[in-house]
Amino acid sequence: MSERELEAGLESDVKAGRGMAASGRAVVEASGVSKRIQSGSTSLTILEAVDLRIAEGETVAIVGSSGSGKTTLLSLLAGLDLPSTGEITLDGRALGALDEDARAALRAGRVGFVFQSFQLLGGFTALENVMLPAELAGYADAESRARRALDRVGLSKRLTHYPYQLSGGEQQRVAIARAYCGEPRILFADEPTGNLDHDTGERIVELLFELNRVGGTTLVLVTHDMGLAARCGRQLLLSQGRLLT
Amino acid sequence: MSASASSFGAALRFSSRRLRRGWRSGELLILTLALVVSVASASAVGLFSDRVRRAVTQQSGDAIGADALISSRDALPQTLVDELRATGLRTARITEFASVVLSGEDTLLVSVKAAEAGYPLRGALRIADAPFAPAREVREVPGVDEVWIDVRVWQTLNLQPGASLQLGESTFRVTGVIEYEPDRGAGFTDLAPRALINAQALPATQLIGVGSRTQNALLLAGDEPALQAVGERELPAGARYLRPDKARPEVGRALGSAGQFLDIAVLAAILLSAAAVALSARQHGQRQRDEVALLKCMGASSRYVGWVLMSQLFLLGALAGLAGAAIGFVGQAVLAALLGALLDAPLPSPSLVPLLTAWGLELILLLGFALPPVLRARKVPPIRVFQRNVGEDRSLVVGALALGSAVALLWWQAGDPMLALSVLGGALGTTLVLALMAWGFVWLLTPLRRAGRTALRFGLGNVARRRGSSVGQVVALGAALLALLLLAVVQRDLLDAWRNRVPPDAPNQFLINIQPEQVEPLQAFFTQRGYRDLQLWPMARGRMVAFNGKPVTADSFDDPETRRWINREFNMSWTASFGDDNELLEGQWWTAADAGKPWLSVDDYVVERLGAKLGDKLTLTMADREIELTIVNIRRVKWESFKPNFFLVTPPGTLDAAAGMAQYLTALHVPRDQRGLLRDLIREFPNVTAFDIEATMNQVRGIVDRVVQAVQFLFGFALAAGACVLLAAIENTRAERVRETALLRTLGAARRTIAIGLVTEYLVLGLLAGLVAAAAAQIIAWVLARQVFELPYSWSPLLWLFGGVGGALLVVLLGWWSLRKVLDTPPRVVLASAN
Repeated sequence: MSERELEAGLESDVKAGRGMAASGRAVVEASGVSKRIQSGSTSLTILEAVDLRIAEGETVAIVGSSGSGKTTLLSLLAGLDLPSTGEITLDGRALGALDEDARAALRAGRVGFVFQSFQLLGGFTALENVMLPAELAGYADAESRARRALDRVGLSKRLTHYPYQLSGGEQQRVAIARAYCGEPRILFADEPTGNLDHDTGERIVELLFELNRVGGTTLVLVTHDMGLAARCGRQLLLSQGRLLT
Repeated sequence: MSASASSFGAALRFSSRRLRRGWRSGELLILTLALVVSVASASAVGLFSDRVRRAVTQQSGDAIGADALISSRDALPQTLVDELRATGLRTARITEFASVVLSGEDTLLVSVKAAEAGYPLRGALRIADAPFAPAREVREVPGVDEVWIDVRVWQTLNLQPGASLQLGESTFRVTGVIEYEPDRGAGFTDLAPRALINAQALPATQLIGVGSRTQNALLLAGDEPALQAVGERELPAGARYLRPDKARPEVGRALGSAGQFLDIAVLAAILLSAAAVALSARQHGQRQRDEVALLKCMGASSRYVGWVLMSQLFLLGALAGLAGAAIGFVGQAVLAALLGALLDAPLPSPSLVPLLTAWGLELILLLGFALPPVLRARKVPPIRVFQRNVGEDRSLVVGALALGSAVALLWWQAGDPMLALSVLGGALGTTLVLALMAWGFVWLLTPLRRAGRTALRFGLGNVARRRGSSVGQVVALGAALLALLLLAVVQRDLLDAWRNRVPPDAPNQFLINIQPEQVEPLQAFFTQRGYRDLQLWPMARGRMVAFNGKPVTADSFDDPETRRWINREFNMSWTASFGDDNELLEGQWWTAADAGKPWLSVDDYVVERLGAKLGDKLTLTMADREIELTIVNIRRVKWESFKPNFFLVTPPGTLDAAAGMAQYLTALHVPRDQRGLLRDLIREFPNVTAFDIEATMNQVRGIVDRVVQAVQFLFGFALAAGACVLLAAIENTRAERVRETALLRTLGAARRTIAIGLVTEYLVLGLLAGLVAAAAAQIIAWVLARQVFELPYSWSPLLWLFGGVGGALLVVLLGWWSLRKVLDTPPRVVLASAN
């Protein structure tokens, strides 16, 4: 399916009301969010007047063509960057009022990430990689949590392996275990299957949704994969920096 | 994030785990090595200098065998001794002079000390019955027919127990071997071994005549007020009052100059280490950026990240500090083995205090050079996980901090801000010159980018393409090679050439203390043995009291060397004509017809010290009479001729009043197989002292060689530091090379092609570094040759050969070591990890 077809399909979904916010307590909210970057004398608008609300336990896919601002929106929602205008609330806290350290403290233990390029620390074993967020969140039982998390993704026998000793799929499973180890309320995933073949990607998706079901974690993911987007409870379509709702 | 996560403990756990896994990554290993090198070199010299300092300090109490002393060329009058004794002071007179002892057919130049009963007033002598036998402490002097000698005398003359030695007209029984003589001090200067006799036995030897070259001292011990009173009283002309801390300034100076050479070698090592630390820390900071962004993404605060980055560095610093100290400990033992033997005093065992200084220095390296670039990574925003170009920065603050730290480092190590600034200025200047030359060479290579086959083009192209990095690498290695080449040049070319300037038939024996009535018998003695035309030079002592009619003392001059010179008595001579070892600079030579005129010929050293010119008048006191002499010519003496020469010379007859007091001296070349002649000479003229210049020169050469070896040893650290800089520079471009290599292999380049390309590149870089270093060494050597050694200096092709070949080999080896794995790894894996 081409990107155009994808956008057309999603537009019809949105019109059919499938993109509407779910009810329940909001864990992520954005109102009037825009992001502009200054490049020399010209100003480039990446996001424009984005409003959204994501409820607890919801699964949301942010889709759109390349350069539509998906990853920028994800990074703003996670508090990795601040919008040029507008306000974002994460787990009830307005991010605009927080400095970078306070935003980091908010993420610790509440927010998990899965990246397209896995982003594992090369010098650390699978176990050590997975322990990291739990340690940062100050959990005393970081190691046992990490072991459990790796067990859940089927890698209990690869604890002492380094990333370079693992296949791409295995590396992403370690990344997922790491994301869930701190038992986050929200998981942000950026193209989680983008670097994987179809079958491996399928298994990774299964894993993500299973963990969402078991732990009730809110799942916000950016993807090009229509199949994956379709499995989410809601799809948000970005086009040229605007959310088509 | 909870408090515990942001705590230092959590960060420390993380960073120690991180280090366990990652310390072998290129830049951290180089950073650690550079720290090890700097701590090792600083602690080696620190520990060694501390041992020497303590050896000297431990002796200072009894370093002069007394609480204070009055020293003089002339014997001190008995009335002075009596007056001082009346104030409650204890006294003992000692007389020192050089003379020759005879044992059977053998002779040996010794330093005779004749001491009065009571010597030493402080400390004690340690005497053994035979060499290396158990020693006992004694506080008395030998009996009137006894002599105590250094073990060197015993060994050189191959003495047996119960041996006797002839000294002048007297024969002495050897009853003791001196193991320790308190007032011998820790000097490089006392080259002749000691023979200690009782002062009462001195007259009978008939060695001391009018005008003999002796050094007299009156040792004093007693209450502080009485000692202070001595300092305030009028002393005989030429006498000086000395307290222990000022008594042996030559010891401090000699050690000071050796110490300065060592310091400069250490400064070179530390500066190069600092460069390696700064380069690798910058790289480490860069590589940490992705990780920092990820940590922040997962909720780590800037503070936590800061602790992680800092504790990683300090953990490494601690390890490097320990390893460096251990190597430094071995290094100081090497220095002690090379230089310790030059000291008369035994070295105390090392104390650990200097290690604190070395660690302090390491701390400056860490805080000034490593931490700022690494801590910049703390500021990386978490958004970098998505946008790789975010969080790159360049900071002037980092550069300014590094420069400030360089000054602090040098100041700390050199202990003198001016020396620190001049070394830094010199280093920056040299770097600039090296960089300009390197840039020029690299620029010249640019047209070759399109020449040759693929591999060659690839290698040469890389050098030209990465011009900045190439210049940096050439300068880094060039600086280290320059230090080594320069040392080799100074040692081999300059010192050897300087020594070889002495003609083979130059005089090797100096005869002094020849009395006027012995001139003719001595000439006859030598004529009989085939030595004709022996020229004997009269010598009389005078003291300068006025210059152009104005009275002068040492205080009239600011320059310390002039002050010392003025303070001494001048040795003057007279002659009708000058030899070819004197070059006329200004004025006219006099003729035999000018005899008796109050004229003076001066060496240009006098011009330099006094600012004198033709027509100036010097007033001198000689034999209690004043005489005013006018400068009529200025000469330059070729001292390396080793013939007797004098700063001040008059025509014959001018100094008649002093002539009666004159002694004569001569110099001649006695071939090794005719040394028996000297035995006959001493038997016939017992008061004449023969100095074996050759032996003295060999001893001096031995000392110079050892100092050079010690400095070379320390420059080994500088080379190691230079290698660290080079590795850091190579490591800096590693990621780019890895990607390029993988791409080239993916595109079908054979492993061999890439290998040849890499070797070509490193070969060219090394060659350039060697050539740049050789060029700089050649320039500096030329300046040294002209200004310091006053030698003609020529182009040295060997230097360029060693520089070029050595540099090329070193860089190829280091570069290959750095990239060897990349070539062996399949391109798919390399590309995956590079992404």
